[in-house]
Amino acid sequence: MDIKYSAVKAPMRGRVHHSVHLGRILVYGVMFLLLTVSLIPLVWVVRTAFIPRELTLDLTAVAWPTLENFRRVLAAAPFGKYYGNTIFIVVGVLVVQFVLITLAGYAFARIDFYGSKALFVLFLSQLMIAPEVLILPNYSMMAKWGLTDTKIGIMLPFFASAMGTLIVRQTIKTIPYELEEAAKMDGANLFQILWKVYVPLLKPAYISFGMISASFQWNNFLWPLVMTDSVEKRPLSLGLAMFAMSYETGMQWSDVSAATVLVCAPLLILFFVFQRQFMESFMHSGIK
Amino acid sequence: MKKLISLVLAGIMTFSLAACGQNATDNQTTAQNAQTTQSNEAQTAAAADSTQSTAEPMELTMYFPVSVGGGPDALIDALCAQYHEENPNITIKPVYAGSYADTRTKVQAAIKGGNTPDLAIMFSIDLYSLLAMDAIADINSFCTTDADKEWLNGFYEGFMMNSRDGETTYGIPWQRSTIVLYYNKDAFREAGLDPEKAPSTWEEMKEYAKQLTKADGSRYGIEIPSDGYAYWMLQTFCTQQSGFNLMNDTGTEVYYNDDRTAKGLSFWKSLAEDGSMPSGIVAWATTPSDFIEGKTAMMYHTTGNLTNVKKNAAFDFGVAMLPADETPGSPTGGGNFYIFKGVSPERQQAAFEFIKWMTDDERVAQWSIDTGYVATRPSAYETERMKAYAEEFPYCLVARDQLEYGYAELSTYNQAEVQKAIDDAISYVMTDQKDVKSALDEAQTTAENILKAYK
Repeated sequence: MDIKYSAVKAPMRGRVHHSVHLGRILVYGVMFLLLTVSLIPLVWVVRTAFIPRELTLDLTAVAWPTLENFRRVLAAAPFGKYYGNTIFIVVGVLVVQFVLITLAGYAFARIDFYGSKALFVLFLSQLMIAPEVLILPNYSMMAKWGLTDTKIGIMLPFFASAMGTLIVRQTIKTIPYELEEAAKMDGANLFQILWKVYVPLLKPAYISFGMISASFQWNNFLWPLVMTDSVEKRPLSLGLAMFAMSYETGMQWSDVSAATVLVCAPLLILFFVFQRQFMESFMHSGIK
Repeated sequence: MKKLISLVLAGIMTFSLAACGQNATDNQTTAQNAQTTQSNEAQTAAAADSTQSTAEPMELTMYFPVSVGGGPDALIDALCAQYHEENPNITIKPVYAGSYADTRTKVQAAIKGGNTPDLAIMFSIDLYSLLAMDAIADINSFCTTDADKEWLNGFYEGFMMNSRDGETTYGIPWQRSTIVLYYNKDAFREAGLDPEKAPSTWEEMKEYAKQLTKADGSRYGIEIPSDGYAYWMLQTFCTQQSGFNLMNDTGTEVYYNDDRTAKGLSFWKSLAEDGSMPSGIVAWATTPSDFIEGKTAMMYHTTGNLTNVKKNAAFDFGVAMLPADETPGSPTGGGNFYIFKGVSPERQQAAFEFIKWMTDDERVAQWSIDTGYVATRPSAYETERMKAYAEEFPYCLVARDQLEYGYAELSTYNQAEVQKAIDDAISYVMTDQKDVKSALDEAQTTAENILKAYK
């Protein structure tokens, strides 16, 4: 992710100093170096996934790509089911989050109620707490509600996102209040204002937050592991772990790589598709 | 306001950075900390849970970790299915629970949430953490008949050491391993050494390692990993001094600054000083790859790697018992079965019957052949299938022979922190930041402070 980030950022910097050629060459040089360094693991994983197993450790070996590693990995775990579950969880969490962060972000940005600032800071403190710390208390709560081993149980703790609310609030603050006033003059009620004025303008914010949230849920491991007992409820990250957890014996690199490619390919593709909006929205929302 | 927000954000960034850096250890310590404060709650949950009704047929939930490649999860699934076929009343539901550390977290959460599993396979050294939570049942109490008692006495003593607290048995050995010496016979020949004779003493190993090292740095004589399981490797050098171990058998005392510990660590370090072992930290995960690629002529590693090396080494290799000082010796490692408190006696009894079935000689032998773990019962080596396998691949017997000199893996109350103290000391010594004595003294003080509460 970092790679693309610097790749978009740097040309802009280049434009600012475009009289200084040497500076530009230097910047591109550093960029290229960073790009190479960050690409090596990805290239290695993809290569290892497609190369016959016995050549894994030989870095100079050349061979026809094989799907044998994928076949073995796909046979070892129900990846179809895992994909389904992960997509359900990611989309489900996102939809609820979008609704909640829009409403909460608007309230914190525009509605002047008593203690709003204190409440906002309190809400933000959620960002300070590592999710791992909350596993035990969250699990107890889910167990009390009978939601262990359910997908809704996996999703529930992530519905109210402080980060999303922060991004939406900050974006709304940059939108001229006059737009809202104009809509009011035309007789729009609060929900119409939100839907017709703010939601379209919040698109970059949604995309940037959506990317963060989706990749978090996509990769989330320990929480779904603790929450679920049955294979039918488990997401992709747990399927990958089956292959990556052979710490005691050293890695079966070809299997791990094939499984890794299976797991992160959709996310990478999604990122390439939305890359532009993603970068732009990051610059808009001022989170760097 | 803006200032405040940026301050908050800055805080988050530092925090998440720090969190990334030590995620792995973090999980462990968080879990560990949580544990001690929770023993009370666990009891309450347990009490509430035992009212669960147990109408036949029964479904038992078993959590299990996977920490070797080669799909042991599929084997476990198959074994559970087979048990159900033979005992239609009982269904065993195997639940994959990640690594050993993840499994511990999952078990803790489940107990706290009142969803206590009936049984689990967990790290043998989780024993005292589980005892501190008052989470596990005494296995002796289920062994009522003579046959049961005989079964319980039929495991290797080296494996039972990590399964007991004093005289009470809490764990049944299942996926267990030990450390052995792997050596490259081709490299031995090249260096003019007898490929059929592995070094049998410390001096021999030191000498061989020097001879096997290539001056141009393309091959080291030996690699002994010093991250992750550093304490485990140090234990080999300790137990080889007439069975001296790093801790007592009730998990309340450690002997980190004993002279024998210092002697072991100094010897280990001297291999690097000779230039025959890479200086600094040797990584656990890449040591087998180094060996397979011929970058080191010998390595200390778990028997769990036997299948991996056998499959991938392009050269002639040998496996031998670890070189001895006064005596041979190696700590054992791996996972045990545990039965939990807080489920009804009928379910506990059913779990016990299942464990007995799983550790039947034939199944233990098959499990060992399929996974590379050591068979946990001497009698398993008398089965036909094991004999046939040993004929085809005699090196599978090295671990068995060494088990006569097997000792308990480091296991104490507040395991994660006590273990970290010695691991840190080892890395200080290996990276030349501290001398052996001051590093070990410091580790001892740290560990004693942590263990004070359990005396």
